[in-house]
Amino acid sequence: MKRMVAIVEDEPAIRDNYAAAFAREGYLVRTYANRALAMSAFSARLPDLAVIDIKLDEEPEGGFELCRQLRALSAELPIIFLTARDSELDAVSGLRLGADDFLTKDLSLAHLIARVNALFRRVEALRRPLAAAQVVRRGALTLDSERMQVQWNGQVVLLSLTEFWIVHALARHPGHVKNRQQLMEAASVVLDDNTITSHVKRIRRKFQSLDASFDALQTVYGMGYRWVDSVQG
Amino acid sequence: MSLRLKLLLLAAATLVLPWAGCRYAQEMESALREGEQDSLLAVAQTIAASLQGRGDLLYREPPARNPAAAADEPPSTPPPPAAGPYDLRPILLPAAPFIDGYPDEWPQHSSAWQSFGRGPHHFAILSGVFERMLYVLLDVHDRHFVFDAPGANALDPQTFGDRVWLGFDAPDGTPNQVFLAAAGPGSITGRRILTGEYGQQSAVVEPRIIGAWQPAPQGYRMELRVPLSMLGEHFGVLIDDRDARGALPVSYGTLHSDTLQPAGRLIAASPELTGYLARFIQPGLRLSVAATDGRPLARADALDERATLGPQRGILAQLYRRFVDRPGAHQPIDAAASIYDLERRQVIGSLQVTQTQDRWLTLRDRALTRMLNKTLIISAAAVIAIVWFAGRLALRLSRLRAASESALTRDGLVTTFAETHARDELGDVARAFSRLLGRLGEYTSYLRTLAGKLAHEIRTPLTIVRSSLENLEAERLSDSAGVYLARAREGTERLNAILLAMGAATRVEEAIGSAERLRFDLGPVIVSAVSAYRMAFAQRRFTMALPDGPLWIQGAPDLLVQLLDKLIENAVDFSAPGATILVRLRHEPETLVLEVDNPGPPLSAATQGRLFESLWQSRPGPDSRLHFGLGLYIVRLIAESHGGSVCASSLPEDAGARFTVRLPA
Repeated sequence: MKRMVAIVEDEPAIRDNYAAAFAREGYLVRTYANRALAMSAFSARLPDLAVIDIKLDEEPEGGFELCRQLRALSAELPIIFLTARDSELDAVSGLRLGADDFLTKDLSLAHLIARVNALFRRVEALRRPLAAAQVVRRGALTLDSERMQVQWNGQVVLLSLTEFWIVHALARHPGHVKNRQQLMEAASVVLDDNTITSHVKRIRRKFQSLDASFDALQTVYGMGYRWVDSVQG
Repeated sequence: MSLRLKLLLLAAATLVLPWAGCRYAQEMESALREGEQDSLLAVAQTIAASLQGRGDLLYREPPARNPAAAADEPPSTPPPPAAGPYDLRPILLPAAPFIDGYPDEWPQHSSAWQSFGRGPHHFAILSGVFERMLYVLLDVHDRHFVFDAPGANALDPQTFGDRVWLGFDAPDGTPNQVFLAAAGPGSITGRRILTGEYGQQSAVVEPRIIGAWQPAPQGYRMELRVPLSMLGEHFGVLIDDRDARGALPVSYGTLHSDTLQPAGRLIAASPELTGYLARFIQPGLRLSVAATDGRPLARADALDERATLGPQRGILAQLYRRFVDRPGAHQPIDAAASIYDLERRQVIGSLQVTQTQDRWLTLRDRALTRMLNKTLIISAAAVIAIVWFAGRLALRLSRLRAASESALTRDGLVTTFAETHARDELGDVARAFSRLLGRLGEYTSYLRTLAGKLAHEIRTPLTIVRSSLENLEAERLSDSAGVYLARAREGTERLNAILLAMGAATRVEEAIGSAERLRFDLGPVIVSAVSAYRMAFAQRRFTMALPDGPLWIQGAPDLLVQLLDKLIENAVDFSAPGATILVRLRHEPETLVLEVDNPGPPLSAATQGRLFESLWQSRPGPDSRLHFGLGLYIVRLIAESHGGSVCASSLPEDAGARFTVRLPA
């Protein structure tokens, strides 16, 4: 059975291009121009994944509202936010609303589809028992690349897909400095330095909310970041 | 010419006031002078009228001839002053000559000398009047002077030497004869011969007539003094020239030699005339009466007595006079009037009245001083007021200028502006400036955010293009179409890079807003960053100078490293490969100073002010990399967000540029 992807986007050209791309990948695509149309359709039938633009028609943050309503209908439904502005990354923590990833529109279609695929893989992986081979342990850190899930001291750290890939790239080779360019490639995003910095900060905050003494993710000024395996050392 | 100077010149224009005052004073002086002239003429005419017909005063005519006798005579009778050859016309002497026989006190080269006699027998006579005396100077030509025998009887003819006879009428008409005989040089006294009751004669000394005898180169000189009160209308001199003592004399002169009666008159004023004139005299006034031939007869002179009008002039008044006085202003003014006989047919003399200027100059000076003082005070007040006003105006203008200049360098962020509360035109200018700068500020901030806004607006259509291209790639395309597609993709990638660069400043501003501030040691951060630069820019060398000890600072390490990134990028861009870039950190009181020096072109003055502005760059030529002039703007944003500042300067000897960031420690 084909998976159904819902695209909520007010710009018709973008919407149709995305729809074409997803259709080509074999997904069933439903497109909605605004929140009202989308909600009425979702209340009838939930899609398997939703790609939502933050700004919808006249509502500057209509996407967040839609996300909230959608989360109310389903806790597991993977949701990807799309935005035209980097600043919205900071303005709202889309992930607080339960989104699984948060992307800018300059992401290529191929990368977008790769993320959608990854999210579907994660949904499937979460349904299967834990496969030990895919799990990397670094001290307190447990990195499950199959489920794209991170645990710190046994507690799940809710990271977005981009954040997971950043942590993944750093933690696989502790002590190695990865510069921002390398991290962007690992996360399949094209961002500028400041956006990477804010991603890293967000990751730190998420770990620190579980463990106040967390300092494994270190900044090497002028170069980049590295993962320090504090427990081992 | 500065405004101050112009206004000062304008103030100087008020000096026209005193000038006009001087002109006014001069005109007033002219009017006063004319009035004075008129009144003087009236005075002269009055006095002349009072002297009408007073021949007795003017010429000591016997009173018998008028008025009673005059009535009998036919009116056509010519008046007495008709000149006769033997008339003696005394001059008015300025002072009394000393009776010593020498002519020193007499006027030199006087035209009043009269000569009498012929051939070897002649003499010259000069007569003069001073006050109530007639003075006579005789210059007698005589080769053989014979003195009287000394101590002899003056009536003994054998003792007679050269003698001088004076013959005159007494005021009452009685004939008088007096002779003077010298027994040697020196003083002599007049003597008259009296005939006694029985016919005996005696020589009696006439003490009122004195004289002096002195030898002269051609003969002798005799000086005489006779009181005018003794003299009537007629007067004459006779010289008895003897060649030996007791010889028969050769007589010549203005007396009839037989009767010793005077042949001519003494045309001199009566001594009472001077007294009469003195009645009219006032200080600063001179009255003089002249005969019809212009020869002065009498004079009453008080010209030199200073008029006692008002106090002595002050220094200011004397100064003012220098400006006001015209040449000739101190010449006395005079007026003349003719004196007529009783019937007003004949002019018998003239009266001249002379007055010094002092009288009315004092009047004028008093008015002038008062007026000039006032105008000068007004002028001074005007100058002071205008200087004050000009100074204030210049101050306000310079404040306005300073405000507009600082507003320009402050990135158009105009908060307050000088003089905007003033109600005058300067206030209008200030308000207009303020509005203008306000709009400029809006425009500048619009420009500053334009890049970010533009980047955002372009992103949506770019996404459309990119997603379309990506979809197109999935289609089956010919090889040539694939080439075009690849080019289009490349173009969109570049466009995307441009958008990222354009939005950089906006993202930095956002990052500043969300950055966490913590207290950290800047030293290790800089060390780490510089070691990264050594790897990143292998073609440059980096040296570091850090002070000992920790460099604690409150701030966001990420942002400060980004600041250093931008400074290093700038230093690398403007230096040649192989150049050494110096990063120095040092302490100043309560300040951490970060300096980045790079060898290369020095900063121009024009560049320095704008270096840290948004979207401004001074790169010499086209560059493969994208530059939006945001690097140093980001440096400034970060420095200022830390409460610090950044500035740029040229290194000594124009060896390169130095960027200095000051951060509060």
